[in-house]
Amino acid sequence: MDRDEAETMENVEFDASEIEYVSYGGEHHLPLVMNLVDQELSEPYSIFTYRYFVYLWPQLSFLAFHKGKCVGTVVCKMGEHRNTFRGYIAMLVVIKPYRGRGIATELVTRSIKVMMESGCEEVTLEAEVTNKGALALYGRLGFIRAKRLFHYYLNGVDAFRLKLLFPRSELHPSLPMMADKYESHMQSDHGDAPFKE
Amino acid sequence: MAEDGSLPPRASIPSGDNSVWADVSPLLQAACQDLQEGELIHGDNFNLFAAMSALEIMDPKMDSGIACTYYSLDEAIENGVAPIPISADKTTDVRCMIDIMDHLLACEATWHKGHSLAQTVYSCLYLLRPERTSSHALLHSYCKVIRATCKAILSVVSQARTHEEEDLFTMAYGLPLSGDGDEKCLSMLNAVEETISRQLRACKVSSSKRRVPEDIEPLQNNPDLEEGYCKALLCRLRFRKHFYHLLMSMKRPQGRGLELARKHIASCISEIDYIRKCSEFLRANAHGISEQNLDNTTASGCQPIGFDASLNCRLSAPTPPRSIKIHSWEKVNLNVVCSYSLDPSLEAALLFVVKFQKSRPDLVARAHLQLLLVQDGKLYGRDPMFSMITGAAGLPGVTENYDFQKNEFMVQLGQLVINLLKILCTNAAWQRRKLGKMLQDWHVTYVQLEMTFKGEFEEASKTSNNKQKICFKIYQHILAWVEEQTYWIAFRFLNLGFELELYSVHDYCMVYWYIYVVLIKLTEKKHLRMAMSSDSAKKKTKKKRDSFKDGEIDYQIPAAVMFLQSQIYLAEGLSMMFAALRNECRIVPLQSPFNTEHEIFIQQFELLQKACVPDHISYVSFKESTMHANFSTLAICDYFKEAQRIAKEVKSSFANDPDTMAELCRVEQVAERNSIALNVCQAGALDPKLKISFTFCHHPFYATAIVKRS
Repeated sequence: MDRDEAETMENVEFDASEIEYVSYGGEHHLPLVMNLVDQELSEPYSIFTYRYFVYLWPQLSFLAFHKGKCVGTVVCKMGEHRNTFRGYIAMLVVIKPYRGRGIATELVTRSIKVMMESGCEEVTLEAEVTNKGALALYGRLGFIRAKRLFHYYLNGVDAFRLKLLFPRSELHPSLPMMADKYESHMQSDHGDAPFKE
Repeated sequence: MAEDGSLPPRASIPSGDNSVWADVSPLLQAACQDLQEGELIHGDNFNLFAAMSALEIMDPKMDSGIACTYYSLDEAIENGVAPIPISADKTTDVRCMIDIMDHLLACEATWHKGHSLAQTVYSCLYLLRPERTSSHALLHSYCKVIRATCKAILSVVSQARTHEEEDLFTMAYGLPLSGDGDEKCLSMLNAVEETISRQLRACKVSSSKRRVPEDIEPLQNNPDLEEGYCKALLCRLRFRKHFYHLLMSMKRPQGRGLELARKHIASCISEIDYIRKCSEFLRANAHGISEQNLDNTTASGCQPIGFDASLNCRLSAPTPPRSIKIHSWEKVNLNVVCSYSLDPSLEAALLFVVKFQKSRPDLVARAHLQLLLVQDGKLYGRDPMFSMITGAAGLPGVTENYDFQKNEFMVQLGQLVINLLKILCTNAAWQRRKLGKMLQDWHVTYVQLEMTFKGEFEEASKTSNNKQKICFKIYQHILAWVEEQTYWIAFRFLNLGFELELYSVHDYCMVYWYIYVVLIKLTEKKHLRMAMSSDSAKKKTKKKRDSFKDGEIDYQIPAAVMFLQSQIYLAEGLSMMFAALRNECRIVPLQSPFNTEHEIFIQQFELLQKACVPDHISYVSFKESTMHANFSTLAICDYFKEAQRIAKEVKSSFANDPDTMAELCRVEQVAERNSIALNVCQAGALDPKLKISFTFCHHPFYATAIVKRS
C-alpha cells in the first residue's frame, strides 16, 4: 500500500535538519494526508479509509514538513490479529522532489518505534514487487518478505507481504540494548550492502 | 445509472398525500457548522472499518459514473460504438471483422493471465447482446463460439479451484455467457467456414479465367483482395474451431480425450502460423497508415471497432486490459499438458507438475492439468491413491485388499497426496504458502501411522503369521516414503522462495544452510527407501537363483541419492561461503534498529520448525555451524569441488533422462564457478578492492558467485 520511489530528477536541495516531523495532530492535518496519498498511490481510498486510521491510531501517523509544506506522511494502525498484537503500515508517501533523502525512513522509523513501545510483537505491510525503493527501505529496517501475493493490486501487480518481528523479551532480556543500538543506527544511516544481487 | 426512458428527465418524486418534500440544505449546513472538528454523526452500529470499502462520488478512481464514456450499453449502441454491419462497404466490413477477431484473441490471452473477463473479452460490445448480431452471419457465429469458449474455460477453472486469490478470473457478473443456440456454435461456424471456403475457391477459379461462377457471391467487392481476405478469415475461424474442440477433448474423463486434444493443439498452432503469415497482407491494406502501431493487438495495426472496456467497469474492478501482442498468443502451456503420458506413477506425476510449472503456465493450463491428474480422488480418475502410494513406497506388486488400507490415517494420507497434487498446480505464490502449511499435516500423519505401526508390530510379534509379516513390511515402506515426501515438500517450499524473490542477500546464508539440513534428511530417507526396495527385489531374485547360491551382490549407492549428495555439498558450500563473507567482513551485515538475525531466522523457517522439519534444528544450530567459517578452511575442504566431482560421476547414470541430465549440468556449472571464486577470495583475502556478487543465471536457486576487482 505504499510507494516511495527514489528519483534524482527535480530533487529539492535542503538540509536534513530543515525537515520537521510531526505526529498527526488533528483534523487540520487530514487534508494534507489525503492529498499526498491520493496524488501518489494508485489504489483508490475513500475519506472513511483515512478517518479509520487517523481516528483510531493518531499516534501512529506522522507528517514531514519542509518550510511549512507537507512533503511526506505515514499512516499506520495496530491491533490483535490471530493471537498476535500486530502493527500495520497502511500508507507511506513522500513526494517526488524530496525522495532519496531519508525522509521515508525517518517517518516509518518513528511509527515503528511507537508500535514497538505500545507492545506490538510484529509489523507488517504490503508493497508492490516492482517497488524497489520501498523494498530496500523496509529491508534495511529488518523486514523480511514473508509472502508473495499473486495479482494483489488492482493493476494486476503482485505484492510482497513484508514482516518485521520484534525480539521477544524472554529471548532478549537486555531490551535497553535495543535502544542503544537504535541510537547508534541513526548516526550511520548509509549502511547499504556493497555488493549487488 | 441508466436513464429510464419512461420517466421525464430530472423529474422529482411528487409529493404524496401525507408528505411534502422540503429542501433541508440550509438546515444541514447549519448543523454541520455546529460540529466540533473531527466529529462525525453516525448510527450506533456504524464503524469506520466497514466504511473503508465505500465508494466516493466524483472521485475519478472510484466513481465509475465519471469514468464512463457511456452510461449504458443501449446508449453506446445508439451512438454507433458497435455498428451492424460494421460497415456498409463490404471490404471495410471484412477488414474490421478481422480486427475484432484479433483483438478478442489478445483479450482472451490477457484474461488467461489473470485479468477480469468483463474488462478483457467482454469489453467487446458485440458479445453483450447476443441476439443483436444475428443479421451478420460471420460476426454472429464468431461471437457464439467466443461465448461458448469462455463458458467452457470458466467451468474448468471453477471446477479445479486453483483460483484462490484469483477470484477476479471467474467473476462473470451477469455477463451473457450463453446466447440462444450457443451450444450449437460449431455447426454455425462450420457453415460460415464452408461459405468462405467456396468463396476462396470461386475467386481462384475466377483468377484462372476458366469461367466465371455465377452462383457464389464474393466475400467483398474488391477482386484483388478477395483471396487474401478469405484466407485471413479462414485461419482465424479454424483456430476457433480447433481450440473449442481442444477444450471439449480435455473435458473427457480419465484423460481419454488427450490424444485427440494433441491433434487439435497441433492444428491450433498451425492456424496461428497462418494468421501470422496473413499479417503483411492485412497491414498493406489497412487505411490510415500513420495510425499503424506494431504494438497493437491487431494484425493490421488498426484499432478495432466495438470495444469499450470502461462500460463494464461498474461490474468489476477498474482494471484496464493490458495490450498483448498477438505474437505472444501461444497455447504452449496446454500443449505441454496434452503431451503428458498418464504414467501410473505418483513420482512421475509429481516430477511432471514441477517441470510444467517452470514454464509459468497461465491459470487455464494449470486448471486443466489439475483436473487431468485428480478426478474422483484417483490419479487420472482411474488409479486409486492407495496403490499409487504403495507403488511410490517401493511395493509395486501390492494389490491385495489389506484391512489397513481402510485405516483412518491411511485414508488421511491419501487425502494429503491429493491435496499435494492440487496445490502443486496452483500459482507459485499460493503454492508456497500451502506447501508450508501442509508440512505439519504430513508430520502429524507420519506420527499417527507410526503409532499404528507399532501397535500392529506388537500384535504381529505374537502371531507372526505370513500376512502379518507382509503388513509389517508394507507399513515400513510407507513410513519411509512419508518421511521422504515430507522433506521433498520442505525442499520445494524453500526453493520456491528463490523463484518468488522472497529472500534478500542477507538471508542467503541461513536459507542455504536450511536447504543443506533438509537435503541431508531427504537424501537419508530416499536412500533408506531405495535400499528397502532393493532388498525386496533382491529377495525375489534370490529365490529364483537359489541354485546359484549367490548372496553377495554388492549394493551400489543409487544415482538418485548421489545426485542429492552433490546438492548437499553445493548448499553447504554456499552457506559457508556466505558465512565466511560475513565473518571476514567482506559484506556489511544487516543492521536493523529493531530486530536481529534471530528474528529473521524465526520468520523464514517458522512453518518448517512447527512441523519438526527437521527435528532439533534451531537458530543456535545455525550459528554454531557458521560462526567459524573462513576462506582458509573453506579452500581446504572445498565443498564445491566435491559437488562438481559427484555431479560428473553420476551423469552417465542419467543418459536416458534429459531433464535430470540438464539439472546435473547446471549443478556442475555452479559448483565449478563457485570453486574458482572461492580460491580467488582466499588468495585475495587482504585485497579490499575485490568485490563479490551473486547471480542466478546458471541455476534457478543455487547462486553463482562472481568476483571482480573494483
